[in-house]
Amino acid sequence: MSKAVNSIVVAGGGSAGWLTAGLVAAEHQANQASGLNVILVESPDVSPIGVGEGTWPTMRRSLQKMGVSETDFLRACDASFKQGTCFSGWQHGAEEFYYHPFTPPQAFNETNLARFWQPLRERVTFADAVSPQARVCESALAPKQITTPEYASNINYGYHLDAGKFAQFLRKHCVEKLGVKHILDNITTVNTDTDGDIQSLNTQSGRRIEGDLFVDCTGFSALLIGKHYDIPFISKQHILFNDRALAVQVQRESADEAIASSTHSTAQNAGWVWDIGLPARRGVGYTYSSAHSSDEQAEIELRSYLKRTAGVAVSESCSPRQLKFNPGHREKLWHRNCVAIGLSGGFVEPLEASALVMIELSAKMLSEQLPANRSIMDVVAKRFNEKFLYHWHRIIEFLKLHYVLSLRDDSDYWRDNRREHSIPESLRESLELWRYQCPWHMDLPHVDELFSSASYQYVLYGMGFKSEGPGGRQSDLVARARVENLFNDNASRTRQLLEGLPSNRELITKVHKFGFQKI
Amino acid sequence: MNNYELLNNVKHQSVKVITDRSADYGDNLQFAVTFPLEFRRIQSHYPIFLQKDNETGKFFPIALFGFEAGENLYLSENGWDAEYIPLSVKRHPFVIGYQQTSDPTQEKQAVISIDMESPRVNETEGEALFQEHGGTSSYLSTVTEVLESIQVGIEMNEEFIDALLEHDLVESVNMEIELKDGSRNQLLGLYTINEDNLEQLEAEALGKLHQQRHLQSIYMIMASLSSFSTLIQKRNDRLPQE
Repeated sequence: MSKAVNSIVVAGGGSAGWLTAGLVAAEHQANQASGLNVILVESPDVSPIGVGEGTWPTMRRSLQKMGVSETDFLRACDASFKQGTCFSGWQHGAEEFYYHPFTPPQAFNETNLARFWQPLRERVTFADAVSPQARVCESALAPKQITTPEYASNINYGYHLDAGKFAQFLRKHCVEKLGVKHILDNITTVNTDTDGDIQSLNTQSGRRIEGDLFVDCTGFSALLIGKHYDIPFISKQHILFNDRALAVQVQRESADEAIASSTHSTAQNAGWVWDIGLPARRGVGYTYSSAHSSDEQAEIELRSYLKRTAGVAVSESCSPRQLKFNPGHREKLWHRNCVAIGLSGGFVEPLEASALVMIELSAKMLSEQLPANRSIMDVVAKRFNEKFLYHWHRIIEFLKLHYVLSLRDDSDYWRDNRREHSIPESLRESLELWRYQCPWHMDLPHVDELFSSASYQYVLYGMGFKSEGPGGRQSDLVARARVENLFNDNASRTRQLLEGLPSNRELITKVHKFGFQKI
Repeated sequence: MNNYELLNNVKHQSVKVITDRSADYGDNLQFAVTFPLEFRRIQSHYPIFLQKDNETGKFFPIALFGFEAGENLYLSENGWDAEYIPLSVKRHPFVIGYQQTSDPTQEKQAVISIDMESPRVNETEGEALFQEHGGTSSYLSTVTEVLESIQVGIEMNEEFIDALLEHDLVESVNMEIELKDGSRNQLLGLYTINEDNLEQLEAEALGKLHQQRHLQSIYMIMASLSSFSTLIQKRNDRLPQE
C-alpha cells in the first residue's frame, strides 16, 4: 500500500500560507477528528512582504468557502470594493485613461459586441458602450447596496485590502474555526527519505514537523522549492522589464475622503505607479525597470506623483520602502511532495493583480485534487505543473499586451517594450489576427483562462487598437438586430446603477456600522 | 416636510387631530412596520413579512396592505376596512422621544412631539389633545399608550430578528400574484420564515426560542400568510367589472 496523504504542512504565514491552509482545511474538514491534518509553520522573525493588496472577484468565493463573514473581513482588513483597474497615460503619456472592469461586455456569451462597437469608436469608449462598470468607477460608487446580502453583488467586484491585516485575520480564522495547527518557529533543516521526498522539517526550538505533503509559501526565500530542491527559476525579464518597486502608505486625512472603486495605474517614464484606495489609507508604489531608471530617478517620479495626488507635505515626508524582484517563475511548481504557492513559485509586477488570484487558484486545485496517497501524487503534480505553467505563460503575455499597444515614444523603456524580440511569439500572432477580427471565446483555448477574451478586448480597445475585418458575415446580419438593443440595455442599466448605488465610502461606513445581512 | 413640536398643554391647548382614515391624511400606505406584541391581532387581517431597511440593511417586520407603492387595499371611501389598525399607523401624527431631565442621575424622560404639518392637525375638527384646564384628553392618553407600545416593540423587534438570523430562520420569498384579469404582479424584497430550517431545529434551540417568546411570533408570521389571499381578493374586487 502506498502511503496515504493525511497530513499537510504549509511553510510560511503570509497571504499565500494562510489562504492555502484555510482553503485546504475547509475542503478537507481539518477541524474534524476524521479530517485532514493541516499544520502551518511560520517564522516569528519574518514579516510578510504584503504586496498583494488587490484581489479578483474570485476572492469572494474563496472567503465564502472558508466560512468567513464578509462583514468581519471588510472590517478587520481595512478592505474596500474593487471593480477593476483604471489605466492612465498608457497610450500617449498624457491625461488619457481607460478602464479594464471586472464585468464582461453585455451578453458576452452570445454576442461579440466588440465587432459592432468598432464603427462607434469615436463616439463612445469601448468600456462605456458594453458595460456600466467604468462609469460606476468614475463616480467612485460601490458595487452593491447595504441591503445586498454578503458576497452578492449588483455589479461584479473584488477587494482592495491591507495585506498585513489580511494575513492576521486569516490566521485567526484558520486556527479558531478551521482547525489549522499553528507553529511559530524557524525552519532549520529539511529531512528527506531515500527517494528524495520531504519527510519532515526541523525547527530552531528542536521540533520535528512531519507531513505527507509540503507547501512552500515562504515567499522569495523559497526555502523548499528553491533552497532545498533547487528547482531552476525562469526569468521573464526580457519580456516584462520591471524588477523594482518603491512603495509608500498614505494615511487618509479625513474619515470621509472618497475611496476609489478601481486600482489606478498611471504610466511613468520607466514603469507605472499603482494607487490602491483603502478606507484608512492609500497604498501607492512605483514599479520600474532598473535597466531604464536609477533608483533615485524612480523616487523623484514617485514623489512627483504623490505631490499631485496627496499634496506637498506627504510627498516630502514619506519614506518609500524598496523591493527588488526578478520577474518570472519556477521551471515547475510541484516537485516530489512539495508544491510552491505564492512568491516562492513566481512573481511579476502587480499590473493585473495576479498574485492573490494565482494563490487562490493553486490552493483550489491543491485541495480539490488532493492526492489520496503518494503513488498518485505524481499524476496530480504533473497536471498541476501543466496548468500553472500555462497560467504563468498567459499572465506574462497579457501583461505584455499593455506595453506593446502603447504609442509612447518618450523614453527607451516604452520603445524597448515594443521591440519584437521582447514580445512572445504567440502574442505577436494574436495581434496580427486581431487586426482583422475581435478576440472572442475561440481565441483562448482553456475553460479556466485567467484572462478571458473580455479582458483582452478591454485592454485592446481601451488602448486604441483597431480591428477592421470585412463585415457582412451571416452571423453578423443575424446579430445586428439584437445589437442595438444590447447597447440600449447597457445604457439603461448604467443609468439605473448610477442612480441606485451609494458611494464606496458611504457603503464602507455603513458596513462598519450595520454590517451586511447573510441573506 | 415634517415639523415636529414638543407637545405642551399651553401651546397646543386648542389643537385637534382628525382620526378618520383616508388617503388625504397619508393612509395610502403599502405597508407599515409592526411588532411581535401585536402580531396576534395583525395576522388575522394582514400578511406579515420581513423587509430590509434601505438605510441599514437591517430586517424589520411589516404588515402588508398593497401590491405597489401608495396602494392600501384596506382603505376605502368608508375608511379603514379592518377592525385592527397597526400601532405604527395609529401613532400619526405623533412621535415619542427621550429627553434628559435637569437631574442627570434620573432616567431619561419620554416626551411626545406632534407633527404640526400633518393634514390631521387643525383646531376645529377631530379629537382634542387637552381638556379645558390643561388636563390630558382620553384621546391623548390612548396615543401615549400606543407610542409607549411602539417603543417597547422596536426593542423587541431587534431581539426577535437577531434570534431569527441566529438560527437561519429568514428566507427571501418571491410573491407572484395573478389577478382575475390575467395580469401578473411580483413583489420583491420580502422575506419570511424559513420553515424547513425551523423544522430541523434541535429541541434545545426551540426551547430557547420558546423561552424568549419568539416561537409564538414565528408561528404568527407563518399563519399570517393566509391573509395574503385576502389581499388578492381585495385587489380583484377593485378590478373593473366585466
